[in-house]
Amino acid sequence: MLILGIETATQQVSVAIGGHEGVLGMFEVSRGRRHAETLVPAIEFVCRQADIEIAEFGAIAVDIGPGLFTGMRVGLAAGKAIAQALRVPMIGISSLDLLAFPLRHADRTIAAVIDARKGEVFYAFYRPVPGGVQRVTEPCVGPVDDLVADLIARGQNVVCVGDGALRYRDEIEGDLHCDFAEQFVSFPSAAPLVQLAHARALREDWVNPWEIQPMYLRAPDAQINWTTRESAS
Amino acid sequence: MIVDDSTLVLGIETSCDETAAALVMGGYDVVSSAVSTQVDLHAQFGGVVPEIAGRAHLDLLNPMIARAIVEAGVTEDRIDAVACTVGPGLIGALLVGVSAAKALALTWNVPFIGVNHMEAHLYAAFLEDPTLEFPLVVLLVSGGHTMLIEMQGHGQYRLLGQTIDDAAGEAFDKVARFLGLGYPGGPAIDREAEDGDPEAIRFPRAMLHDGLDFSFSGLKTSVMNHVRKHPDVSAADVAASFQAAVVDVLVQKAQRAALQVGACGLVLGGGVAANSLLREQFLSACTQSGIRGFLPSRAMCTDNAAMIAAAGWHRLKSDGPTGLDAGAYPNLRLAFLS
Ligand SMILES: [Zn+2]
Repeated sequence: MLILGIETATQQVSVAIGGHEGVLGMFEVSRGRRHAETLVPAIEFVCRQADIEIAEFGAIAVDIGPGLFTGMRVGLAAGKAIAQALRVPMIGISSLDLLAFPLRHADRTIAAVIDARKGEVFYAFYRPVPGGVQRVTEPCVGPVDDLVADLIARGQNVVCVGDGALRYRDEIEGDLHCDFAEQFVSFPSAAPLVQLAHARALREDWVNPWEIQPMYLRAPDAQINWTTRESAS
Repeated sequence: MIVDDSTLVLGIETSCDETAAALVMGGYDVVSSAVSTQVDLHAQFGGVVPEIAGRAHLDLLNPMIARAIVEAGVTEDRIDAVACTVGPGLIGALLVGVSAAKALALTWNVPFIGVNHMEAHLYAAFLEDPTLEFPLVVLLVSGGHTMLIEMQGHGQYRLLGQTIDDAAGEAFDKVARFLGLGYPGGPAIDREAEDGDPEAIRFPRAMLHDGLDFSFSGLKTSVMNHVRKHPDVSAADVAASFQAAVVDVLVQKAQRAALQVGACGLVLGGGVAANSLLREQFLSACTQSGIRGFLPSRAMCTDNAAMIAAAGWHRLKSDGPTGLDAGAYPNLRLAFLS
């Protein structure tokens, strides 16, 4: 089965096509912050270069966050629309799972950390298991200090991955010894997304497009925007 | 691509707090129109909360699209183009519709059309009366805008006047909030005013005889000052007198604009056009001055996707499709003739 993977939860836009052979094509850009402008042309481009028609997809996989709300919704809205139009199911996978999965050959605990702005991070801990990673804590959001306290409490050597880990590297390293994954794996990518989704698709572990739920982890900032309220009916 | 009477356009609207999808054929014939309002989600905050709107659009858009297609009784392969509001509006809200619309256009391999929400409001009247003739003067009153626009032809607009401060709808919201009448302010003031005397308090009619621009900020302030000075005043009288002042200015200026331009018709549009006093006075002013007046239904005045599909059909016919690299433009303006 061919799977389209869409990932827009951080400043990166990532699109990949997966099949039983693995990743068949991908597009990735982490500069520019033009998620809405970039995503649909990127899907079109990857499909054309891989010589795959959109109608051939049997499932649509999306990153459901946590991440930057507006960016996340660009991918979710596009993914849901394509799945609805094709009448195919969706597979939602957390951005933190996508960060941890490429480090599955590590020999220690993995901390997946996404920059949540406002001095906070989204994070969860994983441990490598045969064939993948297993999440050992619930995804959460909190100040960088909370993450550092959690890392200290674990009292073991941890490898940190994600844009949040890199941004707050000094704070994290100030108190304990950690390793940090490379910059080029610091954003969740659609490549592990289609890989993980393919395994789930084989088990038919999927949902209808209207059932997919973003993982926001934060309540909406209930601030009313009077000035940009341009078009209220 | 030939754009004609049988071209079926799916319209999508997510610029503020209504999630809507509709199918319109040939630019005029509304085949289906589904609207889900989020007003209850925002009411407790007394205004539209952008992040709540974004979340709700993501939940509601797919069901609205499905409903529009089912109600139309067509299959998806019959849809010739997808039109969507690209601005103005709340960025996070707009992006949900734009992303979904472009993805649908790509999947169905049909043109995408980015639509200006304000232009769509101008087209709402044509959906109910395709015989309207140019030049038309449109009084567009909403939570974000108060404008008098001359439509000289399709896509040919001249700005005759606009608010220099608050939009009329914004004034309604702020006064309603001040009086503790709840949100949204338009319907709340409308209801409260039913039991009030519109002549109880003579609120100022700013710039009434001075050009075609509007100003509502002073009126809002004088309502607040009056209530502070007379704490026992009846809220119904204040609401009725405030509403009368707003409507007076709107109607007199619209009438004057139509006469100045020699318009074939005067049209009311935007969410505030649902106000009952405005509807009544608008029609009587038209009758009195011999101008052909047109009042779209309340459903067509408030945000909906049929008007997006209609404006999209006209844009597709005149300019062709929009690129799939389009984004959302929160401050998008209408292009006016100078
Ligand atoms: Zn509107």
